[in-house]
Amino acid sequence: MTAALRSMAPALALFGFAALVPLFVRDAFFLDGLILILLWGSVAAAWNVAAGYAGQVSLGHSVFFGLGAYSAALMGTKWNLSPWIAMVVGAALATVMGFVIGFLSNRLRGPYFVLATIAFSQVFLIVGSRWRGFTSGSEGIPVPFRPGLWTLGLVDKRVWVYLMLALAIGLYLIQLYLERSRRGYQLAAVREDEDAALSLGVPARRLKVAAIAVSAALTSVCGTLWAQYVGFVDPFYVFSVDLSVRFALAAVTGGLGTALGPFLGAGLITVLETYLRARFGGIGAGLVGIYLIIYGVALILIMRFAPRGLVSWLGRLARRPAVGAAS
Amino acid sequence: MSLLSVSGVTKRFGGITANREISFDVAPGELVGIIGPNGSGKSTLFEVISGFYHPDAGEVRLDGHRLTGLSPDRVCRLGIARTFQKLRPFAGMSVLDNVMVGALTRTRDVRHARERAHALLQRVGLGEKVHAHARTLSTGQRKRLELARALATQPRVLLLDEVTGGVDQRSIPGLVQLVRELHADGLTLLVIEHNMRVITAVAQRIVALYLGEKIADGVPDSVTRDRRVIEAYLGQAYA
Repeated sequence: MTAALRSMAPALALFGFAALVPLFVRDAFFLDGLILILLWGSVAAAWNVAAGYAGQVSLGHSVFFGLGAYSAALMGTKWNLSPWIAMVVGAALATVMGFVIGFLSNRLRGPYFVLATIAFSQVFLIVGSRWRGFTSGSEGIPVPFRPGLWTLGLVDKRVWVYLMLALAIGLYLIQLYLERSRRGYQLAAVREDEDAALSLGVPARRLKVAAIAVSAALTSVCGTLWAQYVGFVDPFYVFSVDLSVRFALAAVTGGLGTALGPFLGAGLITVLETYLRARFGGIGAGLVGIYLIIYGVALILIMRFAPRGLVSWLGRLARRPAVGAAS
Repeated sequence: MSLLSVSGVTKRFGGITANREISFDVAPGELVGIIGPNGSGKSTLFEVISGFYHPDAGEVRLDGHRLTGLSPDRVCRLGIARTFQKLRPFAGMSVLDNVMVGALTRTRDVRHARERAHALLQRVGLGEKVHAHARTLSTGQRKRLELARALATQPRVLLLDEVTGGVDQRSIPGLVQLVRELHADGLTLLVIEHNMRVITAVAQRIVALYLGEKIADGVPDSVTRDRRVIEAYLGQAYA
């Protein structure tokens, strides 16, 4: 039990810190950053369920995120329904789509599966941008602001921090379950060698599909919350490959298949991006877009020095004896 | 009464018939060897029995239950475990976790699975390597790991594909001894083996395949003297 607690210590520290921040900080910019880190960390964690734990790397996860986001926007504007209901509907739709992609994963392996998921998200991008009568097309739709917790119209960013924190902790715990449970062991086996797993009685196909469906539903939940937070949904953003890559990037830089990795990765990427954009972005700063170059170089360096993610890198640092402490 | 029964199994790949109407039975507690030169269809037969290939004709039954048409994981849960000729450990996982995957097919309790995995690793002589990464093991140790992993699924019949293949000479006696012990404990085994000295020493019965067909089936002494078996291995000049 103590060993289990010790392994969770970094997560406790991180989430504990996030919980304390709103008590002392009122600065909207800072709180906004924290909210986005928790949100992107949660999406990356949801992606990690399929890619990291089940080994099914998808670059079409923006589909699920978009389904959650559009559910909130459309059900709010058209039928004046609560985003909590939209969250359930979006998750249900995403689960169905997750089964479709999961079915593909049993036909296509490796790069072919990745390409299929990209194509899948392109289909949604086209539907979202062309079906003007229903989705307002490429103009996007504003999510109606209706004050209250039931309608998730929250002005106070501190409340948002706690909401996103609850989401993040939930996703962290789901990942922990995937590390320690029977299903987790079986998924790891499928990821390592599907045929060997089958030969040991692991229902590999069913597990892969289930993992992708769960990952899809969780991604959709994040999408709903994101839409309520930023207040606007646009098909070229929510169904883009860029967005899918962003989920993957956070999880991979943080540590693929680790519970804390997606949150660390999202933290690093969000901070880096925000800082660089503020420092080098804008017309006044000279070269427009140079921040993207620096951002890219920084990511390359991270992958060079921590190829297995920040988690394993930090783990190595922690285990390295302090200078002069050698006996 | 046979435990495992293979009847009329035919498997074709395009124009090549890898198995042609192969039939034989394995009695409970028996250790049956399968021999044959390269390309005689031994591995194909294993893939058919373990559910990875579906035969074009014929069927496989375990204790009367039809296995043909079931997926490999179902076949395993019904009681057939196997090892692979080309070893397939879960390289990124610890030795213990590898075996736990097998054990978790029979129990939902992770702690119980861990205990069983520990016991089995002791049994196959990998007690010292429990926490090592599977990729750090030698070939002989990997064979033992695959054995432990397969045993963890509590098979009624264990299929071994080339226990001594690719293993250095010094490790062979230990592995053979281990197979003997498992058999002595009552396990039913079907063993593919290239090493004739090994197979004639451990098997109670040998089935010989050649070019996809069964050419002999009987006690080791008679099979190794069988004219067709000698021809298959050495060519007509020696028969």
